[in-house]
Amino acid sequence: MPNGSQATTEVFENLKLELRRGCLALAVLTQLRTERYGYTLRKALADDGLEIDEGTLYPLLRRLESQGLLVSQWREEDKRNKRFYRLSPVGEQILEQLLGEWQRINTSLSKILQEA
Amino acid sequence: MTTSSSRNPLELVDRYLQAVRFWLPKTRRQEDLLAELGEDLRSQIEDKETELGHALGKDEISEILKRCGAPMVVASRLGPRRHLIGPTLYPIYEFVLKMVLLWILVPVFIFIVGPATLASTNGDWGNTVLVTLGNLWSGAFVAAGVVTLVFAILERTHAIADIACKWDPSSLPPLEKRERKTSMFQTICELGFNVFGLVWLLLLPQHPFLILGPAAAVLKFGPIWHIFYVPTVLLAAAVILRSAIILGRPRWTSFPLWSQLVQALLTLILVHYMIEAAGHTVQGNWHPFVMVADSVRSSEQYARFSKIVAIVNVAGLITLVCTWIGVCIGGAVHTWELLKYIRKQRSVSERPASLQAQ
Repeated sequence: MPNGSQATTEVFENLKLELRRGCLALAVLTQLRTERYGYTLRKALADDGLEIDEGTLYPLLRRLESQGLLVSQWREEDKRNKRFYRLSPVGEQILEQLLGEWQRINTSLSKILQEA
Repeated sequence: MTTSSSRNPLELVDRYLQAVRFWLPKTRRQEDLLAELGEDLRSQIEDKETELGHALGKDEISEILKRCGAPMVVASRLGPRRHLIGPTLYPIYEFVLKMVLLWILVPVFIFIVGPATLASTNGDWGNTVLVTLGNLWSGAFVAAGVVTLVFAILERTHAIADIACKWDPSSLPPLEKRERKTSMFQTICELGFNVFGLVWLLLLPQHPFLILGPAAAVLKFGPIWHIFYVPTVLLAAAVILRSAIILGRPRWTSFPLWSQLVQALLTLILVHYMIEAAGHTVQGNWHPFVMVADSVRSSEQYARFSKIVAIVNVAGLITLVCTWIGVCIGGAVHTWELLKYIRKQRSVSERPASLQAQ
């Protein structure tokens, strides 16, 4: 049976995961306003402080693509085949809406935190 | 020993990808994902090489692959989310599985299979327990397998999702009157005992030792037994039906009360006729419930057995009279409860709707 601190850590990790899940999609969509391939996208996110592993990023990219928010293309660069992603026109619209929603949530949360 | 990967460290990446491929579902998407993962790993290696200024060795590549994760774990993250029974169906699956295993299978084995095995092994308790437990174990596996299979099919066919989309709030069950609802545990126990009772009754003609014990070798059933056996079995079956209805229709709040009264009345009529029939003598002998078996009629111990028979018959008659009195008292209590319930229902229906909602 996990002890108290283990349980607390587990609860924190689960909540952190939930918090990150939505943010990651938003961050990926925002980064893909510029065309990138998987590794450079991961690097760009990591440079901005949002580490994401391969097992999370590639399924997320597939999901966003199947939802029509991204378009991708295999292309040769530096003698290697790479899959480049960028935001689709639908993705651009959705991203604008999501960013608006994000701003609203952020404002509300800041207000709540100030009141607390 | 020199391995090929020590000569060409990059071969480790291909071996790694091969291991990931093994755990991924075999689809077109598999190759696409692997190509992308391979490209990511090679880019990481390339970056590291630029940073260090030399080609990476086996250990350094191993470090990158280790950080990426074990092939099986990576494949589980890359592949589609797979589950046999999804989160929507899982609570229903768990409920049905518990019902089947705990509330159906176990009672059936305790009250039907166990006694039947006991009868077939001529009262060998040890053997009966072992055989029943063995059958219960394999039965539980089969039942759990069948339930899981059915739910897996439901999950694949999205049958529940379709039903869930079509639900109508007006089809929700009416509010339950909690104070009258018979507890499920009590009903299941009743059902179990009633089934056990019926099975016991059905086994009696072939296995008289179940009631007479070792005396079955020298005693046999009397005339009352033959006259009232079928009505008793029918009454026992009706009692089982009643319990099953209570279990299946918990919202029929008045049913347990009035059906209990009907059951008491039927029992009373049956016991009344049994007592009346028990008062008769056959050819000057009074042995309504049990008689001395034909095989020992000419034995020297006949007189002793006759005394036993007389005692058993008197005890049987006393038991019947006590049962009659008990059922009379029970019937009066059930009548009182039913009247109380009817009065309460009337007062609720006469109350304004606004007060009923409180």
